[in-house]
Amino acid sequence: MRKHLVGYAFISPWIVGFTVFTVFPFLASIYLSFTHYNILSAPQWTGLSNYERLFYEDPLFWKSLWVTLKYTVVAVPLMVGVGVALAMLLNAEIAGMSVYRTVFYIPSIVPLVATSVVFVWILNPQIGLVNTLLGTVGIVGPAWLQDPRWAFWALVLMSLWTAGGSMIIYLAGLKNVPRSLYEAALIDGANAFQRARHITLPMLSPVIFFTLVMGVIGSFQYFTQAFIMTKGGPENSTHFYALYLFNRAWRYLDMGYASAMAWVLFVMIMALTLIIFGTHGRWVHYGD
Amino acid sequence: METEPRSRIECGRRWAGRLGVATVVMAGLFLLAFPSREIRKHPERKPVRLWHMWTAKWKEDVDRIVAEFNASQNTYEVIALSVPESAADAKFLLAVAGGDPPDLMAQWNQVIPEWAENGVIMPLDRLMTLEERRAFDRDVYPVARRMGAYRGKLYAIPVGLDVYACYCRLDHLREAGLDPDEFPQTLEGLMDWGERLNRFDDSGRLTRLGFLPFISQLTFPMFAPAFGGGFFDWERGKLTIDTPENLRALRFLYEAREKLGLRNVIRFYSGLADGVGSAAWPFMSGQFSICVDGQWRVGQLAKYGGGIEYMTAPIPPPEGGRRHAGWVGGNFLVIPTGARHTEGAWAFMKFWSGLENPERAARFYTWGGWLPLSRAVADAPAYQQYLRERPQFRTFLDLLPSENLTPTPPVPYQTFLWDRVREAYESVSLGHLKPQEAIARLKRDVSREAGAREQWTHHGQ
Repeated sequence: MRKHLVGYAFISPWIVGFTVFTVFPFLASIYLSFTHYNILSAPQWTGLSNYERLFYEDPLFWKSLWVTLKYTVVAVPLMVGVGVALAMLLNAEIAGMSVYRTVFYIPSIVPLVATSVVFVWILNPQIGLVNTLLGTVGIVGPAWLQDPRWAFWALVLMSLWTAGGSMIIYLAGLKNVPRSLYEAALIDGANAFQRARHITLPMLSPVIFFTLVMGVIGSFQYFTQAFIMTKGGPENSTHFYALYLFNRAWRYLDMGYASAMAWVLFVMIMALTLIIFGTHGRWVHYGD
Repeated sequence: METEPRSRIECGRRWAGRLGVATVVMAGLFLLAFPSREIRKHPERKPVRLWHMWTAKWKEDVDRIVAEFNASQNTYEVIALSVPESAADAKFLLAVAGGDPPDLMAQWNQVIPEWAENGVIMPLDRLMTLEERRAFDRDVYPVARRMGAYRGKLYAIPVGLDVYACYCRLDHLREAGLDPDEFPQTLEGLMDWGERLNRFDDSGRLTRLGFLPFISQLTFPMFAPAFGGGFFDWERGKLTIDTPENLRALRFLYEAREKLGLRNVIRFYSGLADGVGSAAWPFMSGQFSICVDGQWRVGQLAKYGGGIEYMTAPIPPPEGGRRHAGWVGGNFLVIPTGARHTEGAWAFMKFWSGLENPERAARFYTWGGWLPLSRAVADAPAYQQYLRERPQFRTFLDLLPSENLTPTPPVPYQTFLWDRVREAYESVSLGHLKPQEAIARLKRDVSREAGAREQWTHHGQ
């Protein structure tokens, strides 16, 4: 018993911090979501009115939800695909590979704020790098961040810039694929595509599963880039759910409503994560 | 026999090393846990903490004003802190909620009604003497009075108003054969000038914009009052959204863009290097011939303009519209609820704004290139000298007495309202909604928000 107490004493700073700064706000936000609360005055109980307003009276809630879901469906699989493809390319044994790996990984450790500011320039329609490159092959690039038809896709495009972060995880996964499987496949006459389809991807599926779950959770919390680059515009085409939640909480001083939004978000993330876990048995292989 | 003592010595050294590292780490943690005491020049005085969001040269101006205040009396010491703008509001709100706010906050965001309604800031009436209140109502420009008021109480003192007018490049006018002395008296006339000043490349892309009634997200609020519209009836104290005047204004703004081609305008504006610094303003680089902007550009042109010849003029009204009308913003000082030294905060407010001594404060306004809140400051010798050196600045000052200038409507959902107004203009300017549809949507969204806020008030009663 005494031995356990010593252990708990050592982790007590974390326990206290976790309880005070995570568990308590988490539970308090359930109560706050049924109130009107502006941070300063005592919360006023309003029952289900915040949820009623969300579902029946707030077009921006549905718009922001749609934008976020669209991003999840488009950007997350794209990130997985590009990450896996990059990892497979960078798994080859050629000279200077560690340099290539480093180059692809570096963008993912640059702070998002800095990346966002730089991308505002890269995507500038007149003097930006992207449109200048497109111009060299005769394509007139769009006004990426100012045109509602393109702003969302510009952010999706930008998300690929940090694919190097997940690439490292896939690379580690690739290193764990036994060589004997490839040797056996070669003897059986499998070509490169068949080896990738029937050995690499199945053996990599636990890692893909992990990055998929984390990617979905992360996509629902997408905030920084939209906050810095577009402020949700033009015409709310990049008004992500987390950005709207932030505006409600801190700009409109509507914390109760923002808490209700946070809980709807939590339920959605949980549901999607459970759905992905439900499919887990069908496509994730652990080499047994 | 000799190895045993040597190993003991080595072991002792290792432990001493570990102990040394542990001590340094503990000392570091200790220092981090207890922040260093604030360095104060006048520890015997009552501290008055001021938060503001200015940086660079403007921060230096604020520091100079603070230094002059601290030198002018022996009771208070104002301690200024520049807070990053992106986090300032949240930090301020948390400080107020946590019971440890600053004594003063300088703001320029649309927050007064929202913060007043929620008890974040305190009414200043209780700090003012009857004479001070009378002088304020008598001397301060109408738009500055409206800006700081909410539900009949005064919550903020402006220390720099932001007024907008037309900037015109004289070299462009001459090139197009236009006489600056014959500056158009109507918005329609100014549009005609704009057409003559526009320049396009071979593929029809706009390379120089003559004139467009556009000032980013302020476009609709800026031009609606000139059409007799606007978003607030100050006499009846009510929001005015779906009025024929607002509809006419929005139609005009849309048609002005459509004439140039909506995509062409988007491409032109999104390619400008505006936003990277004062020197990159497209008016300076010659991409705008006539544009609408704030008075601070006069100072920037003096500094970075390289001798560009230009003039300023009030935005002309449309035919049958209101003269000298538009939206006005500004910097203002507020005192948070729970501030410890409200008397000191009020003393500093009077000092900076010029309510106490207009002649002394006039210098402060010239440092930052700010527009004063009263004629008394404007008439002070220091300010008059500033105007003589920068004659273009007078246009902005002369607009201030106008009753047609309006700040953001004083409703407790001001930020929400302004976001939706911006959206309405955005949808119309992109051609996605017709003006009447955008106004109907704006009316619907704002009514919903107002209705919900009304409900909370009833819950609270």
